[in-house]
Amino acid sequence: MKYLFYSFLLVFISCTSPKSNKPIIGFIDQLQDETLEKAKTGFFDALKQNGFDSSSIEVIYRNAQNDQPTMLQSLDYIISKNPTLIATNPTLPTISAVQKTKTIPIFMMVSPRPDLAKLTDAAGKSPANLFGTYETLDYLDTALLLIKNVLPNAKKVGTIYNQSEPQSVDALARIEKTCTDAGLVLIKMPVNNSSETQLVVASLLSENIDAFFALPDNTVFSSMEIIVKSCDDKNVPVFTSEEGLVSRGAVAAFGADMYQWGFQSGTQAASFLKSKSTSGLAPEIVTVRRRVYNQMKAEQFGLAFDSTFTSVK
Amino acid sequence: MSFYLSAIILGLGFASLAMGIFISMRIFNIPDITTDGSFTLGGVVAAVLISDGYTPLFALPIAFFAGAAAGAITGFIHTRLKVNALLAGILVMTALYSINLAIMGRSNLPLINYPSIFSSSSFSDSLAIQQFIILTLIILVIFSALIWLLKTDFGLAMRATGNNEKMIRALGVNTDAMKIFGIALANGLTAISGYLITQIQGFADINMGIGVVIIGLGSVMIGQILFSRKGNERLLIQLTGVIIGSIVFRMILAFALSIGIDAIYLKLVVAVFVLIVVSIPNLKSKA
Repeated sequence: MKYLFYSFLLVFISCTSPKSNKPIIGFIDQLQDETLEKAKTGFFDALKQNGFDSSSIEVIYRNAQNDQPTMLQSLDYIISKNPTLIATNPTLPTISAVQKTKTIPIFMMVSPRPDLAKLTDAAGKSPANLFGTYETLDYLDTALLLIKNVLPNAKKVGTIYNQSEPQSVDALARIEKTCTDAGLVLIKMPVNNSSETQLVVASLLSENIDAFFALPDNTVFSSMEIIVKSCDDKNVPVFTSEEGLVSRGAVAAFGADMYQWGFQSGTQAASFLKSKSTSGLAPEIVTVRRRVYNQMKAEQFGLAFDSTFTSVK
Repeated sequence: MSFYLSAIILGLGFASLAMGIFISMRIFNIPDITTDGSFTLGGVVAAVLISDGYTPLFALPIAFFAGAAAGAITGFIHTRLKVNALLAGILVMTALYSINLAIMGRSNLPLINYPSIFSSSSFSDSLAIQQFIILTLIILVIFSALIWLLKTDFGLAMRATGNNEKMIRALGVNTDAMKIFGIALANGLTAISGYLITQIQGFADINMGIGVVIIGLGSVMIGQILFSRKGNERLLIQLTGVIIGSIVFRMILAFALSIGIDAIYLKLVVAVFVLIVVSIPNLKSKA
């Protein structure tokens, strides 16, 4: 009991920290992930280009390691340090931050439009302190139709989606409609975590699909290699909507550039740091999307891409 | 300071879950995996009812009974269908994933602009203090009710079932019914935790229950090590230990977050800190 008391005492003593006049940037990541890492890099590069580097700002970075209570406590910690702004990456920290503070400006990235995340009030207005960059699902149409352009004879498209991720389910609903409109048959199968991916993809491939469309959800992000390997064995090309997945073995993609997504949010945050005012700022849609392809994979499947596509490694 | 207060608030939110685990683990010796599902179930029920306009207080008993129903199913599968308790829990937890998705209709439901149990009365202007007071009251009510229940003849029979099932059956107690009731009660308490955490964090998420059984087991064990002395098995002290254990668990994580460890090593450091806290009393008694 006595030791317990001492350890608490230690905790309380250690939480007093010296004050500095630099603006404090709280940055919270939900999990350790290559793709989210790009957005984070973009965010801080944007700050740096606007003259905010480690000499002029103080950064409190916390990563929740994909554990929700940890994420809440990380946010509590950041808020307790009275940050000038909070950057959230991706959706779940954005939702939590909006709940936790009504005053500190929040700059989100890799998050959906506020109404898609149910963050708007009855009047359809998003929280007054929410800024940053969001994405809708419109780009998915273009991404999916890449299949039609590149493989004119394709009939059956297979996909896996994660029931536990709102953006994955919303994206699935979207591409289902696009497939129907484009005369493609969509074969979909649910996965709940990355350990199931191999089995689900194998059963999907047994349906003789002509192409695989990888929805940009966390399950796909964490198990892309096994998806590509399974599809390669059956000679099925993988298409997607996220550039990072092309470097990891998809043939081609059209979608947001994750680095630029973070960069755009970072630019907004920098303008707030300069003007000290959020007037004129609002959540905005991600602007940089591009067509990319993987040279090695293109050769493997004997596909050609014109100059509107950029090759990525 | 408010940061540590919010850690205590989370700890209190998880205390109901820890008491549930205390029942399944310490009384029946069953590590009940159903917990991961019934925790989310409690949160999901709360989120759906509150966003449909029901009062948060109305959602409380419904969350409890939903969790209890899930636990009763685990108990039934275990006792009547003779399935191993771990597997029974895993099966129900897995099935609850679909049930939770179906109830919520989507995988994440924010409760922005809706009332919560913490807004239904006002003790203080500060939300954190308000949360702290209401959580303390709720946990105190659960704590007292549980002490009372476990001290009745029925409660004694339930505890005895965990200690020596054969003897208790010989005394004419229906031990299967005791187990089903006990696991149902445990999961009802777990669902209350889910209900509370959903309102603390302001959203329900389909993945919010992943790994909470570990949080509960950890809290029970920490409480046991910090509070039980040799030969002292008093229920009051054991249960107090469970609640304190739940708070200590959060405080350790809070401390780890506040000293700014490299994110990669966060979980390792938390594990080491827990080890240090629980091993200090033992090191002392050996010396």
